[in-house]
Amino acid sequence: MKRFTFLIICIGLMASMGLFAGGQQSASEAQTTLVYWSMWNQTETQGQVLTQAIRDFEQQNPGVRVQVNWNGREIRQTLQPALDQGVTIDLWDEDLERVILTWGNYALKLDPFFEQSYPTTNNQPYKDVVMGSLLDLARNIAPDGALYAVPYQPFVFNMMYNKSHFQQAGIQQVPRTWAEFMDAMAKLKAAGFEPMTIDNAYMDTLPGYYLARAKGPEWVAQLVSDRTNAMWDDPAVLQMARAFEEMATKGYFSRTVESNVWPAGQQDLAAGTVSMYLNGTWLVNEIMNTTGPDFPWGTFAFPEVPGGVTGRTAANYGSQAFQINKNSAHPELAFKLAVHLTTGRWDEELAKRTFGVPVGGTTDWPVQLADARAIFNSLDTHYPWAGGIQANPEKLPVIIENFTRLIAGRITADQFVNNLKR
Amino acid sequence: MKSRQHTTMIVVFLFPAVLAYVLIYLYPTLRTGVMSFFQVDTITTSIAGWRFIGMGNYVFLFESPLFLRSIRNIAFFWFAGAIMAFFFALLFAVVLTSGVRGKSFFKAVIYLPNVISAVAMGTMWTQYVYSARYGLLKNLFTFLGLEELAAIQWTSPDFVSWALLIAYTFGMIGYFMLIFIAAIEKIPQDYFEAATIEGANKIRQFFTITLPLIKNVFRTNIVLWTVSTTTVGFFIWVQVFSPRLIEQGTVTPMVYMYQSIFGAEMVVTARNVGAGAAIGVILSLMVLGVFLVTAKFLKDDKTEF
Amino acid sequence: MKNTAQNRIIGKQAPLVPGYFMVGLWTILTLWIVGWIIVASFSTTPAIFSGTMGKGGFHPENYVRALITHNVLGYFLNSLIYTFSASFGVLAIAAPASYVLARYVFPGNKLIQNAFVAALGIPAIMIIMPLFSLFAGLGWSNSRILLITLYTGFNVPFTVFFLIAFFQNIPYEFEEAAAIDGCSPMKTFWVIMFPLVQPGVITVTIFNFITIWNEYFMALIFANTNRLRPVAVGLFQMIQSMRYTGDWAGMFAAVVIVFLPTLILYIFLSERIIAGVTSGAIKG
Repeated sequence: MKRFTFLIICIGLMASMGLFAGGQQSASEAQTTLVYWSMWNQTETQGQVLTQAIRDFEQQNPGVRVQVNWNGREIRQTLQPALDQGVTIDLWDEDLERVILTWGNYALKLDPFFEQSYPTTNNQPYKDVVMGSLLDLARNIAPDGALYAVPYQPFVFNMMYNKSHFQQAGIQQVPRTWAEFMDAMAKLKAAGFEPMTIDNAYMDTLPGYYLARAKGPEWVAQLVSDRTNAMWDDPAVLQMARAFEEMATKGYFSRTVESNVWPAGQQDLAAGTVSMYLNGTWLVNEIMNTTGPDFPWGTFAFPEVPGGVTGRTAANYGSQAFQINKNSAHPELAFKLAVHLTTGRWDEELAKRTFGVPVGGTTDWPVQLADARAIFNSLDTHYPWAGGIQANPEKLPVIIENFTRLIAGRITADQFVNNLKR
Repeated sequence: MKSRQHTTMIVVFLFPAVLAYVLIYLYPTLRTGVMSFFQVDTITTSIAGWRFIGMGNYVFLFESPLFLRSIRNIAFFWFAGAIMAFFFALLFAVVLTSGVRGKSFFKAVIYLPNVISAVAMGTMWTQYVYSARYGLLKNLFTFLGLEELAAIQWTSPDFVSWALLIAYTFGMIGYFMLIFIAAIEKIPQDYFEAATIEGANKIRQFFTITLPLIKNVFRTNIVLWTVSTTTVGFFIWVQVFSPRLIEQGTVTPMVYMYQSIFGAEMVVTARNVGAGAAIGVILSLMVLGVFLVTAKFLKDDKTEF
Repeated sequence: MKNTAQNRIIGKQAPLVPGYFMVGLWTILTLWIVGWIIVASFSTTPAIFSGTMGKGGFHPENYVRALITHNVLGYFLNSLIYTFSASFGVLAIAAPASYVLARYVFPGNKLIQNAFVAALGIPAIMIIMPLFSLFAGLGWSNSRILLITLYTGFNVPFTVFFLIAFFQNIPYEFEEAAAIDGCSPMKTFWVIMFPLVQPGVITVTIFNFITIWNEYFMALIFANTNRLRPVAVGLFQMIQSMRYTGDWAGMFAAVVIVFLPTLILYIFLSERIIAGVTSGAIKG
């Protein structure tokens, strides 16, 4: 019996190896193949939309085949070794800032391509039909001011909130200043809601945004990188700590805020327990399973702070982006594919199905992001992630640990400042 | 004649394993060792692009408060976790080899958490067992009337190290139990029967027969525990407990190494693969050190049976 | 008569009561926790995060979603091929090596042992990435044979290290007796020594099996086409995409889909092998 089982396994093994070893499909002749390494998993909504869009592209361009390698976010580990070894890859995608800074050396300069028109751009140059602010951002990130990436799927990082809670609490207008913000939270609390929460994965964004509003993102980056720790004595730090200390003592933070392991906090927002959550516009998609499409989504810009140097038109925004290999044999075709995926029907489809922001200037936005659209259009200043507070990875864990204690009411604002000076 | 036969066998038996080692481990290991003395941009940069900086990476690491914190954490996880894991693993192994019924069932269930994806287990612990709203622990302690324990926020900075360690160790107990069972099963039953006739109780039998005879396996387990806590196994758990951001309570050298090699999660930070390699070397030396120390302390006094 | 037999059983089992109690308690805890995952897989995301899974209703469609949108089943065959081939391969290479390392004194023995142990401590990423560059440079990637070879070689140090402890505890009389009977050392190993360490061999094979079955990173970069991917890559991608899209009930369903066959395989394997050993009736 035992031997029999073993034999079956062996036979099965050999058969399957034989079957598959010879299974190399012969690529049909006279075809151009584009190889796309994707940051998505085939099973994600983005992956599914892109699969359809690519099939459409193949139909419109007979003789072209697009081979997709679904890497998921592991592309951050897998792409560069493959590029170093000269594996054929025509285009890939990841976060806009990351592709330009990390893989810029492997990428083709794309400025001329942006000037041309394509089947889906209505005879206009491509650069005029997509969000100009993102192209500026891409230029700013690159050391030589050129375009090395094709942005798509934009996001903006701001306060996401439950409109129905605001109505029930009698808040007429979204808060613009810190005082109005405190006032709104007092009303929300009185109406029986937990005004605000945050998850450990985003713990740096609250202090980062506050400090960036108060002193600007460059200053924040200097603060966290300051080896003498003298800058922590700046009154702005204490002001920030006092502001959040006050929120903690008044009970404006969710009672589980110190132990929220992502996604527990954002799920509290989705469940209607909590009213506000500082996050990217992707949040709508991330908790859609819980909220359903009818959730009363609202977005407002992080409020101004007393004495602040940047206002509500500053935010962290960005996008995903395609990049084309400088060694690609078919750069025009690869760019054409990128245009196909980021304009017209497929831009809209991607935005609709992922409840995300479209990159096309005239494309419709999902209803959940109506407020975010207005904010996006008003932006004039770019923050790095969390207002620049991540500039020093060595200091960051100390900041978030003490900030967590601060908003849980376990330490005072003065203790917070002292702990960070150490 | 006899010794030549032995030499042939040693060579024949050892050759494939050594070959596998040379093919797969030797080059990457040496490369990692050499790389730890260089400034290197990416993990696959060819040697031509490396810049020699001597002990620079090591000096950098041992001046980094975060790295030192990660070493302190791993020492704590390693020590406290080992005590918990081995206590329960040995206890269950002894119970299950003492003639209880349904042994296969118990064995399978206790080992079960090892078969389930670590991401799912970690999510279950963080979102269910430790939840401050509806968690298993909260409900249990409330039910028992222990209000103070019920109020603990397990995944807050004050408790997250313990929370992570308990969740991880819980799953590993079955793993080490299986190894202990395999070792105890090799001990001939006559030993215990003889001891029982002489009037030695179970506890005495454990200390006089079982423990001395599984010493080698105990040694193996200590090294395997070291490997699992310092490298990949534990790393996945840390990522579930502290997604995206590094937290002081959960940071381990592996986490720090990933940041050195691939940069931070949300922003593009300077990468220093040489420092990552230096961490690899340090971890490897730690495992080797544990191996040598346990070999010395739990010396094989040629117990035979 | 019957009574005394019963008494004997009770007499034998009575001292074990505390043992039953401890193991039983632990079993309940484990089943509760694993049960939570299974219940969650039939629940909804809002119910999971509000602790109301009992009231949320029964949702088998999570499974349908996981199976339809994700090509998991197609990956199972690949996993079986990789796992079985590599598990056998590792054992064939590592068992003889650990035997000579455990029982023979020769120059270089300690060095080899230390090298193997040091290999265990090196983070896998430092091994995998350079190998990938090396093989990609040689144009070797995306083949089953390569991945099986890698899995085999990768698990050799662990398995050798593990089995050494089991070989060390066998009395030398066995080999001496075999030598007197005219049995060659190599034959002695396969016929006498190898069966003696069966518990260790089974245990390490289960570990290797589960390690290879769950390994995804090497598979992701060395078998980077859908045709070659094992189930671990499929599961990992599924878990990640469901985390990103907040489909947590679906995530647990995916985990259960992959975990059930693994569990069945594990039970089947351990029962089969254990049955084989005991029927061999080799006694220490």
